[in-house]
Parts: sequence; structure tokens; C-alpha cells
Amino acid sequence: MHRSELAKYFKDNLFVASLQAAKKEVAIAELLDTFVREKYIRNRDIVLEMLHQRETLGSTGIGKGVAIPHGRTTAAADVLIAFGKSDQGIDFDAIDGKPVHLFFMVIAPPNEEGNVYLPILGSLVTILNEKANRDKLMKVETFQDFIAIITGE
Amino acid sequence: MIKKDLELLVSLQDIDLMIEEVGDVEKLGFSVTGYTELKKAREELSASISKPLLFRYERLRGKLKRAIVPVKNDICLGCFLRQPTSIGVKGREDEQIFTCENCGRMLYWLD
Repeated sequence: MHRSELAKYFKDNLFVASLQAAKKEVAIAELLDTFVREKYIRNRDIVLEMLHQRETLGSTGIGKGVAIPHGRTTAAADVLIAFGKSDQGIDFDAIDGKPVHLFFMVIAPPNEEGNVYLPILGSLVTILNEKANRDKLMKVETFQDFIAIITGE
Repeated sequence: MIKKDLELLVSLQDIDLMIEEVGDVEKLGFSVTGYTELKKAREELSASISKPLLFRYERLRGKLKRAIVPVKNDICLGCFLRQPTSIGVKGREDEQIFTCENCGRMLYWLD
């Protein structure tokens, strides 16, 4: 997926420049609550359960300070991504054991037009594998700057 | 009680969707070391759903891949057919399980 296409799935109201959470479970809930506040999902408990089950399958902390909690749920109608940054870092049981600073929560419905869910995950992994992108994201404060990093402009 | 059943079905399908794509997310580099635990969680959840409803879910899943689908703006997101307004009012209350008249999937109202 092209980076400009990926950028369309982010929203200003799902951007958290400074996460308050200090623990994994709280970080997941804090990001999920951005979707709940904007009424993008109907049932918080069901989606929270799905995200917990996803962590049971394996931590979505992919290493190098990055986590991409994700999943499909019947309680959502659209594919959307929330971004959160934690300056202090959070123990997320990441595969390299290091604290996570950058969080991308991807929520998708059971089926979606264009089958974009897996390509979105793939694009995120590719972008976040680059140290230069991670370094820029660590300093991001505004949604506008964030989108510029995602699109690579 | 029905509301509970509907929520359990949604959670069950969410796990099934996850299981379905385990290979895909693993290829992307995600850890999937807890596959056995996830299957166990699926078994436990399905055991808490009434047998006739679970049978209905499994039958629809086998036939249509997605047994239960979201409804948004009165549109079934399984087949994109507009649902009658009359069932929308009741559907939002989660007190009965409605099915789409067109595709036959169970419906879960989002708005």
C-alpha cells in the first residue's frame, strides 16, 4: 500500500501525542477509548476483549519501541488507526523486551472494501522498520507533522 | 439473556477472524506463539453459548464465511442491503437476534 493511501486511515481525533498510561493494559484501553469517544465502535468491552485475545496470541510489541495492537471486530464498521506516543515508554512484553514508545492501534471490521487491513499492517511494519521514521515519530507533536512522516513528505 | 448471547457470538467471531489470519500476520513479522492458548479461549467461549445458537453460527460461518455482520445506517455490511426501519429499532435494543432478509447473516447494529 502506498504511504499516501495509508495516511487516509488516520484521524486527528485518534492522535494522542502524549499517552498517560504506564502499563500495557492501560495503554491498550487508552488508545481504544479514542475510538469509543468518537463513536467509531459500539461496544468497548467486546473490542477490549478482542485486543486482549490478540495479545494472548502473541505480543503486538514488534520491537524497537513499536507496538501495533490490531484486530478485526464485528463491533466496527470501518478500518481506522489510532496513534499514541509515550515518552517514558511502556513495558508491552515486546519481542525484544524493550519498552514501547510508539503505538499504532488498527481496528477493522469483519470484511472491508478493498481488503485493506493486512496491507495496512504490512505498510506500518515497513515504515516502522526504518530507524529514521521511528526517530521522527518520537519527536512528533502535531497531527499535521505526523501525517507528513507517514506519507514520507 | 439474548443480549448476552449476541455479545458472545460477536466475541466468538472476533476470535475466529483472528485465527483465520494467523498465518498472514505471522508473515508480516508478528508473534503468534500463543496459538494454542487462543484456540483454548475459543473453546471456552463457544462452550458458554447455547448449543442451538452455536449450531446456527457454525452453519452460517461454513456457508457464508461471516455469520454475524455489523449494520450501519440500516445497511447490512455483509451484503449491503438496506434493512427495514422497523427491525432497526428493535435490533438496536439487542433483545432479539435478527437476520438479514437477503443474505441470511445475523445482524449486529452499530449505531
